Amino acid sequence: MNYLLHLVIYFDIYLIIALSLNLIVGYTGMLSLAHAAFYAIGAYAYALLSINLGWGFVPSVAVGAAIAAILSLTVSLPAWRLKGDFFVLATLAVQALIYSVIYNWSDSEAPIGSLSNLTNGPFGITAISRPSIFGMKISGQLSYCIFASIVAACVAFLSWRLQNSPWGQLLKAVRDDELAAQGLGKNTRMIKVQVVAIASACVAVAGALYAAHVRYLDPSIANLDESILMISMVIVGGLGNFRGPFVGAAVIVLLPEALRFVALPDAIAANFRLLVYGLMLILLMQFRPQGIAGEYKME
Amino acid sequence: MQVLINGVISGMSIALLALAFQIVYLPTRVFFIGMAGIYSLCPFVVWSFLNAGMGWPVAIGVALLLATLVGFLCEVLVHRPMESKKASSGAHLIASLGASIVLVQITAMIWGNETKSLRTNLDSLTHIGSVTITGAQWVTLGIGTGLILSFWLALMKSSLGLKLRALADNPIQFSLFGYYVPSYRAASFAAGGFLAGAAAIGTAYDVGFDPHNGLHAVLLAVVAVIIGGRTTFVGPVLGGLLLGLVRAEVVWHLSARWQEAFTFVLLAAVLLLLPQGLIGSKTRREAME
Repeated sequence: MNYLLHLVIYFDIYLIIALSLNLIVGYTGMLSLAHAAFYAIGAYAYALLSINLGWGFVPSVAVGAAIAAILSLTVSLPAWRLKGDFFVLATLAVQALIYSVIYNWSDSEAPIGSLSNLTNGPFGITAISRPSIFGMKISGQLSYCIFASIVAACVAFLSWRLQNSPWGQLLKAVRDDELAAQGLGKNTRMIKVQVVAIASACVAVAGALYAAHVRYLDPSIANLDESILMISMVIVGGLGNFRGPFVGAAVIVLLPEALRFVALPDAIAANFRLLVYGLMLILLMQFRPQGIAGEYKME
Repeated sequence: MQVLINGVISGMSIALLALAFQIVYLPTRVFFIGMAGIYSLCPFVVWSFLNAGMGWPVAIGVALLLATLVGFLCEVLVHRPMESKKASSGAHLIASLGASIVLVQITAMIWGNETKSLRTNLDSLTHIGSVTITGAQWVTLGIGTGLILSFWLALMKSSLGLKLRALADNPIQFSLFGYYVPSYRAASFAAGGFLAGAAAIGTAYDVGFDPHNGLHAVLLAVVAVIIGGRTTFVGPVLGGLLLGLVRAEVVWHLSARWQEAFTFVLLAAVLLLLPQGLIGSKTRREAME
């Protein structure tokens, strides 16, 4: 039962990631590799604020989301000029920089969370507290599962409303023909800034949920492999509609469970899982570029 | 001076890989991330053959043959069917990423995730004035210079090189002249695989290897291509050497921990300020397409 709850919590976290990344990749057509970096910012913001200042979940997540939204300008501003592979490389640079900062902002002399040792570098942060909401502590696995599901439902609702609004239609217009959208008098630069900021803030929330669930953080959650996994999840699930992220998150949570029946030795089980992911990417690009349940084909 | 030499030598292996990337990118416009898989796979093949008691020539020969073959298969199995469906460059990029994940994970499943080394003994040292150069560095320098020069000669003088350059220049016109484009694409993938394998073995001999360093190495090579200029075959070599120098200087003056950050600051700066690279020839508008 506990294990099932654990899976549901992971599904919630991945769902938020997929929904937010789908806004950038699927709706606006910008392939970003920097998403894991913003995820990590949310996670670290929650961990540090709750440990050092004793803040509750809502204010610390709000701060993390705000930082992520501001830093997301490093992704959206290059998108004004760069397209295609070059934009991907620019986001790769953002990811590498944020990862480096998280990895290197440490000093073994100073206490964790002080200005000279903010992230504790590669040693990570342990004993992150469970979240408290308005003075109420969420400690049990079941209550945390319900909490995470509520947060995920809120993000899903937000993303559903956004996608069906005129603003969401404009995103698709920018993706399909930016020049035409500009010709209709739309400010396409502004909308890129907005969508990346919103998606980054959302994924920061997912990061905080992850930190509060696993209660241990190290810089590896910001690294490139994590970003690639997020991208694969969105692409496998499907780009450019509301269903896709649900399928993608379900696949990433259920795939390890399905592979249990293959009964691989433990040493190579993780490798095999990634192998299946790689194969899925190749096959999908070959036969169904829009993903399992998606609408938009990668450009 | 020592820093300078170290930089040039490590830049040489980046340059070699960057050239491998470019030989695929220019004629086919495929962002060949799958090369990371070849880069990971090759040293393990050499290692296995050495452990089985074969000599260096056999081990390296087989590994390079395999690298060439895998490059060829990437085109035939992954990219050619997509190209015939007019897949977008983003789809090619993702599929290539998928190919690299598959190859890296197969390598890890066969040989394990640990770091291995091709050498058992300590390296020999050569002193020239105040500069010390290790045997492995000589090997890297020799292989790098030799391969880059001979490759360049082949590209400029041989008929296949001319055709590949023509394909890079204008694929449609090239096919109008009656050449069968897919076979030349396959040739460029095979050549890319061969060069990537050679670069991997050189680096592995110098610093050791594990299955997961391929992607990082290929990304460095891509950065080198962007810095040097992505429209020529000289740009990647120049960019690679420059990147090697900068990274060595960062280690010397600052710390190895900031190497990556500096590399990517450089990338971001070049992307935004000089999108055509150091010796690229296209205008900015075209480079943004």
